Amino acid sequence: MPIPLIGLLLVTPALIIVLLLFIVPLFSSVTGAFDVDGSFGLGNFQKAFELYSSDMIFTVVIVLLSTFLIGLFSIAIGGYLTLGSNPRAVAILRWLYRWPLFVPFIVVGQILRTFLAKNGLMNSMLVEGGILTAAQTVSFLDWRGIVIAFVWKQTPFVTLLLSGAMASLDRSMIESARNLGASRTRILIEIILPQVLPTLLVGLILSFVTMMSVLSVPLMINAQSPTMITASMAFRINAYGDYGVANALGFISLLITSAAAWIYLRQTMKERA
Amino acid sequence: MRKVFYSIMALGLSTSPLAAAELTVITAGDQNMVDYINQYLGPLFEKQNPGTTVRAVGTGPGDAGSQKILERFDAQAQANVETWDADVAVAHEKFVGPMVEKGYLEKYRDKIESGALVTRANAKMALGSNVDGYVMPMFNSQTALAYNPALVASPPKSYEELVAWAKENPKQFGYNGIKGGASGVSFVMGWIYAFGGDADKLMNGPFDAAETSKWNDAFASLKDFSTNATMTPGNAGTLDMLSRGEISIGPVWVDMFYSWQANGQLPPDMKLVLPAPGMPGQPMHYVIPAKSPNKELAEKFVNLATSPEVQAEGIVKRFNWYPGIDAKHVEAALDKETWAKLFTDISPEDLAKYGKAFPIAPYNTAILEAYERQVGN
Repeated sequence: MPIPLIGLLLVTPALIIVLLLFIVPLFSSVTGAFDVDGSFGLGNFQKAFELYSSDMIFTVVIVLLSTFLIGLFSIAIGGYLTLGSNPRAVAILRWLYRWPLFVPFIVVGQILRTFLAKNGLMNSMLVEGGILTAAQTVSFLDWRGIVIAFVWKQTPFVTLLLSGAMASLDRSMIESARNLGASRTRILIEIILPQVLPTLLVGLILSFVTMMSVLSVPLMINAQSPTMITASMAFRINAYGDYGVANALGFISLLITSAAAWIYLRQTMKERA
Repeated sequence: MRKVFYSIMALGLSTSPLAAAELTVITAGDQNMVDYINQYLGPLFEKQNPGTTVRAVGTGPGDAGSQKILERFDAQAQANVETWDADVAVAHEKFVGPMVEKGYLEKYRDKIESGALVTRANAKMALGSNVDGYVMPMFNSQTALAYNPALVASPPKSYEELVAWAKENPKQFGYNGIKGGASGVSFVMGWIYAFGGDADKLMNGPFDAAETSKWNDAFASLKDFSTNATMTPGNAGTLDMLSRGEISIGPVWVDMFYSWQANGQLPPDMKLVLPAPGMPGQPMHYVIPAKSPNKELAEKFVNLATSPEVQAEGIVKRFNWYPGIDAKHVEAALDKETWAKLFTDISPEDLAKYGKAFPIAPYNTAILEAYERQVGN
């Protein structure tokens, strides 16, 4: 058998799997979104906007806010790992910050559900410590709970990418800035950050797309209205058996993530060029 | 496209090996449903029928689980599979209607002994569809308001009293909306029964689109009411918050309430009240697919599962559910104490008067959607 044919034969199983398990379902979900009783129409989208417009806004705002906070925290942690002067503190932080990476989203939701409740562990500790009185406590099991879960889970991922990029920078620039008397904050913001910005952006975009797809966290923490699009999609299928509107909601979140993917692609293209 | 998808799925399902005399029971519901079959009913059946094994497959909690069973049947029907991969299925009331209408099920109630022990109306009609003969109720469950007597001295006896009480005690009433489990759904249905017009028409049909326009005021007042209520994360979330003292009253499933109390997850002094004009409950049904590979064995299994002894020991005593077959047959097979425990807070009279059915399927859908439109969005 000629070599190219063997090569083709070898990739065929992989291609078939990609086609059957990825392209076909995606295609059927997209066409399903425009399928109204067997003919082409926008009825599903109309209904999706009519019933779930606040969920869409809620989702975008929550995910953007989480992305912003993740960026902030990962810069702070990455910065300290690179510039920290206490080696013991740096070692402890380096060891600690990765833990949430290994915790699944559903477990994060489950932990926070009891931790953030009005009379949950967090508030109990604050009350015991005399910081709050029992009457002042509030439940965080609403949009704040979702943001906390997302930031808690995704910060390590971005930090991992970011601190790697920071570690591979040329130290001489940092050293010379330090010799000239620049503060560490200033070095971080004016020297390190501009150089690792592309990596930060890629990390944040990947987090953005991941968070858009999480169902377990909104289900565990806040499945009321408004909630995230994923919870509404699940509800549409489970309560009504209505795949049309669910597909339309899926298509809308696909559009949102495509915007992020477009930025990502442009970024990687630029890097290769 | 969906056809292609279904046939691929069915291909996968039909090629899984089937051992001889293995009875496959697929069940919707929480883990306790799978446990019930694996730990209690299965071993009992295996003992009575040596050589058979019972395999329980759970499809997940709530309507989602039953939806999965229905889709599994759809897939096998569309692919023209000769024998299906399930002998017995346990599904929610809402889904047995479509299964009967599509001709997926065996009409078996008259063929088994315990069939004569069921006379309750919800074994004949399931949310407006005639399912007479095709189903045997496994149990009946009911929703009610659970409350903390320390914080609610005299519990509201009706929806009107609840509204007045909630106004005086802001954020002390908690429910889980409609996306987090059926106890919240049930509360909303009860609200429409109370304030939105003709409950009998909603439960018995026929569907009339004009009826839906009568609910506007009821939903406006529910929106108002909800801003003053605490939203809880799910059926269990309501019980959690109740036990932590974060809310003092909220809608729950009666069986869940008793089970939680029995294993110490809920303080023993919590109580139940079923407010007028009533809240819905629903049965879960045993059904046998017409293309089940072991039909006779399946009938035998359901006969055992709905016998007075099993209903008494398994359903009432172990799981605190109301029996599926008529209560008088079960009462005789149980000691007085266990029987009385089931009716501690809600008397049989109240249950008969205020234990409603869910609205028929089209009204059910219309109410949920109207809630999403007018209260949620």
